[in-house]
Amino acid sequence: MKKVWVIIKREYLVRVRTRAFVIGTIISPLLLLALIILPAFLAERGGGGQKRVTVLDQSNDSQLFEAIKNRVESNGTDFSEPGFASGTRFVLSRQPLSSDQSPNDWIKRDNNENGKEASDRAYLILGPSVLDTAATEYHAKNLSDFSIRALEESVSAAISERRLLKAGFDPTQISRYMKPVDMKKFKVDVSGESTEGGMRQDFMVAFALLFFLYMTVLFYGLFVMRGVIEEKQSRIVEVLISSVRPTQMMAGKLIGIGLVGLTQIGIWALSTALLSTVGVAAFAPRGVKVPTVPASLLIYFVLFFVLGFFLYATLYAAVGAIVSSEEDAQQVQFPVTMLLVVPMMIFGLVMANPNSTSSIVLSMVPFFAPTLMMLRIAVINPPVWQVVLSMVIMLVTIVGLLWLSSKIYRVGILMYGKRPNLAELGRWLRYS
Amino acid sequence: MNVIELKNVTKRFDQFVAVKDLSFDVRQGTIFGLLGPNGAGKTTSIRMIVNIFAPDEGDVLVMSKHVSADMQQHIGYLPEERGLYKKMKIGDQLVFFANLKGVNSTEASSRVDTWLERLALSEWKNKKPTDLSKGMQQKVQFIASVIHNPDLMIFDEPFSGLDPVSVNLLKNVILDLKSQGKTIIFSTHQMEQVEQMCDDICLINHGTQVLSGGLKSVKRRFGKNTVILDYEGPDGFLGDDLVKHHNRFPNYSEILLNEGADAQQVLQRALAAGARVNRFELVEPSLNEIFIQSVTGSEPAATAASVTGRNQ
Repeated sequence: MKKVWVIIKREYLVRVRTRAFVIGTIISPLLLLALIILPAFLAERGGGGQKRVTVLDQSNDSQLFEAIKNRVESNGTDFSEPGFASGTRFVLSRQPLSSDQSPNDWIKRDNNENGKEASDRAYLILGPSVLDTAATEYHAKNLSDFSIRALEESVSAAISERRLLKAGFDPTQISRYMKPVDMKKFKVDVSGESTEGGMRQDFMVAFALLFFLYMTVLFYGLFVMRGVIEEKQSRIVEVLISSVRPTQMMAGKLIGIGLVGLTQIGIWALSTALLSTVGVAAFAPRGVKVPTVPASLLIYFVLFFVLGFFLYATLYAAVGAIVSSEEDAQQVQFPVTMLLVVPMMIFGLVMANPNSTSSIVLSMVPFFAPTLMMLRIAVINPPVWQVVLSMVIMLVTIVGLLWLSSKIYRVGILMYGKRPNLAELGRWLRYS
Repeated sequence: MNVIELKNVTKRFDQFVAVKDLSFDVRQGTIFGLLGPNGAGKTTSIRMIVNIFAPDEGDVLVMSKHVSADMQQHIGYLPEERGLYKKMKIGDQLVFFANLKGVNSTEASSRVDTWLERLALSEWKNKKPTDLSKGMQQKVQFIASVIHNPDLMIFDEPFSGLDPVSVNLLKNVILDLKSQGKTIIFSTHQMEQVEQMCDDICLINHGTQVLSGGLKSVKRRFGKNTVILDYEGPDGFLGDDLVKHHNRFPNYSEILLNEGADAQQVLQRALAAGARVNRFELVEPSLNEIFIQSVTGSEPAATAASVTGRNQ
């Protein structure tokens, strides 16, 4: 046991002292923070840029343009969903056209004259019968700008208002009845308690947890593999095995590197918790909503990291023992990495229907559980028995894999040269 | 007293028999040469002594006890294929290896200083292996194998890659360890080094013992049947009837005579052929020659040729 401790200490200190670890630990949460806060700030300051919209007006109703312009420029864009609104500011100008002029020709000409590259130009066509049909067209080079939705809402409201006026409604009443609907979103937890939250905020937290879990399990698993290859390739194993048993070497390496991961995640969890409390308070007065991550989710995250790490790192250790160089490893590690990537490809299904039978089953598969069960926990609150069951399944799998991997490891670290095929691997299992 | 006893040891890997019914003893306080061509089973034998492998049959006794994990504390092993962690300082690395053998860190770091000083590596303590020459790394690896002050030390090709000055330095260290009563197993292909340092030898081939005993008695067993002839002039005067084996070196020839052949006849033929003889000496065969003879004698001709080639 003392020898395992010596190895744990080495594996831990060697890695924690590297510049890469320090940078990775500090930079990653800062990047995440920037990702969350920056769009909100940009939106607040209109940093999303300006778009000059030429309104090609064939409606013969100059007041319609004024109504649209007022709404767009006063409401601007919708900041209520931080991280989502890109905060484009629309500047509108009117270009009256007669009903027999073709708006498309006008756009073509304008485009040719005023710079083909200009991406900040857009055109809104109000046709001759826009007040009857309520059909408009928006032409622009970039249609993926989320702010268009805000523009659409403003145009829609303005047209409705004009139609009501024409129908003879009292202008003062119109503004009263045209008040937009305010739908607040509340999340119901297990105890039936509701807390206000946003759909996007929920999505972001769940996705961030899933993504970080995937990244850390992959990174630290590969660390283990590289560590084993390093010792094998440089022949340090030859020196080590005359002092410790191979199983002790493997245990020390797994625990040592696992602790490095836990240190990093611990720092991240603490800073997230800090952001969720202090950060929210600091940003609230400025109108920026910082997504909060409940402490329970952070605890689950740490738990699932530990389980996921041991599940995959055990496999990666066996891969490292099988191959003789990192180039060799590329091929052999592929199936292991695929097991980790698959949940990242199907997480959308689970997120949309977290309680469907297929989602429940997938989140029980030991190799998918670390990511998919974490996702389900973040999106809904699955019954406790499901969470516990997935953990038990993972634990049992880990024990089985440790047994298998340590056998492969014991033989593999002393084998150089040709990579064994499956039949040879079977023989290794027998004579170790 | 024997520090190591191998009794009828056999080790198989699948169908391949690496060591077959091997027995030898290593006396305390001696340097024991474990010799043999590549693939003879030396490394497997050593690995059984240091408790990496368990024998399939027979007994491996170290200090009269079956080898176990606890026994590893008392053994220092410098494997032929060895390495260091690339990104770890030399000093930290040596302390780590000492810790693994149960030496506490304070004690370990003072020993590291002493050893680095002794092998002229003090200024490299805080450097990483990538900054060191191959020879310096070899010396660091040597320190790693003796840092826990074991009673039994096993060195497999300890001098490979070292310059003559370092070889000499390390030889003196090893002889010094012997004089402190340490028992040393020495495995190498360099027969001159074996002649200089070993008390007893054991030569194995194909996992079985070919030759063993005290160095002097082994040599005596082969008798004075070798002629050293240093001459100038035509070649080809040596007949097959006289010569069993002929090693031609740039400055002289080492001629192993057939049984019953008269050494004087070699001299006569040389003179008759018109060669100028500068030196004519009847000696015991060199260990190199004994090695080649014993190995060739114990296997088919085709492999023998390759073994001979490697050792010249």
